Amino acid sequence: MFSEGTAKGLAGWAIFGVLMLIFPLVASTGMVRIFVFANFLAIFAISWDVLSGKTGYISFGHPFLIGVGGYTTALLTYHLQLPLYVTIPIAVVVTMVAGTLFFLPALRIRGTYFALVTLAFMELMYGLVQVIAPTITGGTRGLSGLPTLVTGAIPNYYLSFGVMFVLGVSAWLLIRTRLGTALSAIGMDEEAVGASGLNTTKLKLFAFMVSAMIAGLGGALYIHYLGSIAPRGLFDVSFLFTILVACLLGGAGTITGPIIGAFFLTLLLEWLRPFIPGQERYLIYGVATLILYMAQPKGVYHIFRVGINRTVGLMQGVQRGAST
Amino acid sequence: MLIHILVQGLLLSGFYALIAIGFTLIFSVGRVLNLAYGAFLMVGGYVYYQSAQIIGLGKIPSFVIAVLAGVLLGALVYLLLVKRLRGDAIAIEISTLILAVVLQAAVIVVFSPSAKSMWPLIPGVLRFGSASVTYNILVAAITSWVVIGLLFVFIMKTHLGRAIRAVSMDVKGAVISGIDPDRINLVTWGISGGLAALAGVFLATYTQLDPGMWVAPLIIAVAVVIVGGIGSIVGSLVAAHVIGMLEIITTTMVGAELRGVATMLLIILVLVFAPKGLFGKAEL
Repeated sequence: MFSEGTAKGLAGWAIFGVLMLIFPLVASTGMVRIFVFANFLAIFAISWDVLSGKTGYISFGHPFLIGVGGYTTALLTYHLQLPLYVTIPIAVVVTMVAGTLFFLPALRIRGTYFALVTLAFMELMYGLVQVIAPTITGGTRGLSGLPTLVTGAIPNYYLSFGVMFVLGVSAWLLIRTRLGTALSAIGMDEEAVGASGLNTTKLKLFAFMVSAMIAGLGGALYIHYLGSIAPRGLFDVSFLFTILVACLLGGAGTITGPIIGAFFLTLLLEWLRPFIPGQERYLIYGVATLILYMAQPKGVYHIFRVGINRTVGLMQGVQRGAST
Repeated sequence: MLIHILVQGLLLSGFYALIAIGFTLIFSVGRVLNLAYGAFLMVGGYVYYQSAQIIGLGKIPSFVIAVLAGVLLGALVYLLLVKRLRGDAIAIEISTLILAVVLQAAVIVVFSPSAKSMWPLIPGVLRFGSASVTYNILVAAITSWVVIGLLFVFIMKTHLGRAIRAVSMDVKGAVISGIDPDRINLVTWGISGGLAALAGVFLATYTQLDPGMWVAPLIIAVAVVIVGGIGSIVGSLVAAHVIGMLEIITTTMVGAELRGVATMLLIILVLVFAPKGLFGKAEL
């Protein structure tokens, strides 16, 4: 049913899944909480990767999508006391509608300009949330005391990991279909894809919808994990930076790469904590990511793959040398 | 009311032109977006603060030090980042964005995360009729016009300026004529860094110094470039005035909180309906 590569990949996913399921049994509660954040970051990174990693339409506005999802469910639960199983699906749908809005400029512009207009969307949202009806949105201070889906570190871990795992595997399978190939072809040469008789607008719209759906779901769950929402921290360049760097360090366009990147970044920051407790940590972390990015823009995933291929090739060479 | 809008708008527009000019320069010559540009302004502001208010050197020497620091920073970023990523516009954009966050972290480490207020360059308020302006913004606007005038003369009249224009028009043609585009880009990045630092000192006295201050000027510079169009310095000047006026009109007529919102809407509308901008030569 699956090709050999897909089967191997699925085996990898299964091992990853089992390890992650065992993890809370052996780790401390603090570590589990850190992994909850890594899971959420991985969800956002998958969302970014579906849109930007493949099609080359670099989004600088993903916090906008996540924020739309988060605010939708926050407002509905806070003001109307609707239950979460109603508000979260609504949040996903609203985010997908917002994703269409996002999509309109992509019909006309690409590359640098697209990144900038999405950045403008994010800043616009940041301005609007604080100004338009602050009595409803909570203005600059945001809303707190939102209901949570589950309580405790371990249930939250399994929830966030489950969602991340399902989304990750689905997105990974998706990019291995003909559809995924068409999307990466758009990233290489959009005119050629159009000339081959494919409707690039439909393809792009599809990528946007999937990305917005994941972002909306992730955003809504994230807000109900935190129990609060505020414009700063959400429509924020450093939040965007974390998502972007997770994808780029991991390796954009591979789905697995951004997940690795998300865990790598979260753990790097935690690992540095005992050595450098102060603000210097962010400086070192920033410099490290910059150097890594400059050294290999294709990401850590690519470095791993090259390394594995080389080792395997070397071993095959040794075997061949031994047999002759 | 009308006079108030006109005067305030003109001054703010002049200031915005100064903020945007260095960004436009790099964009038209090297075809790359420097997303660390806002952070360059921030560094200029902090260097001036350190020099003038902590060490206590005079205003003029501090100004010179800040601008030199900006030139150095611009040149270093070109040599260490941009030159290595040659041509890859997206990679340059992303790495300069990372650099901006790194510079922000560096400022937090050196100067603490709390905001610092700067003394005005020239204290006092000028009143005429119903309008009143601070000397500070007046000086910023006048400096801006003078600097842009000088830059214009430099680009149009000097040998180096002609070489810069040549590279911005056609790199291959420039190389054939014996121009080294690396050197021209280095010079442009240096000039751009200096202009950014200069604008940063004014920005810091206009608002205040804090580690997150780089986002606002970057957005302004981006807005000016998008509305004005790529590769058009005249377009940028016009766009700076459109945006400055728009902000003052929104502030007076609607409310100060919505000034940024108006600019963002303008960017989105221009990008969707006229991606080349008002005076742009090329789409990107």
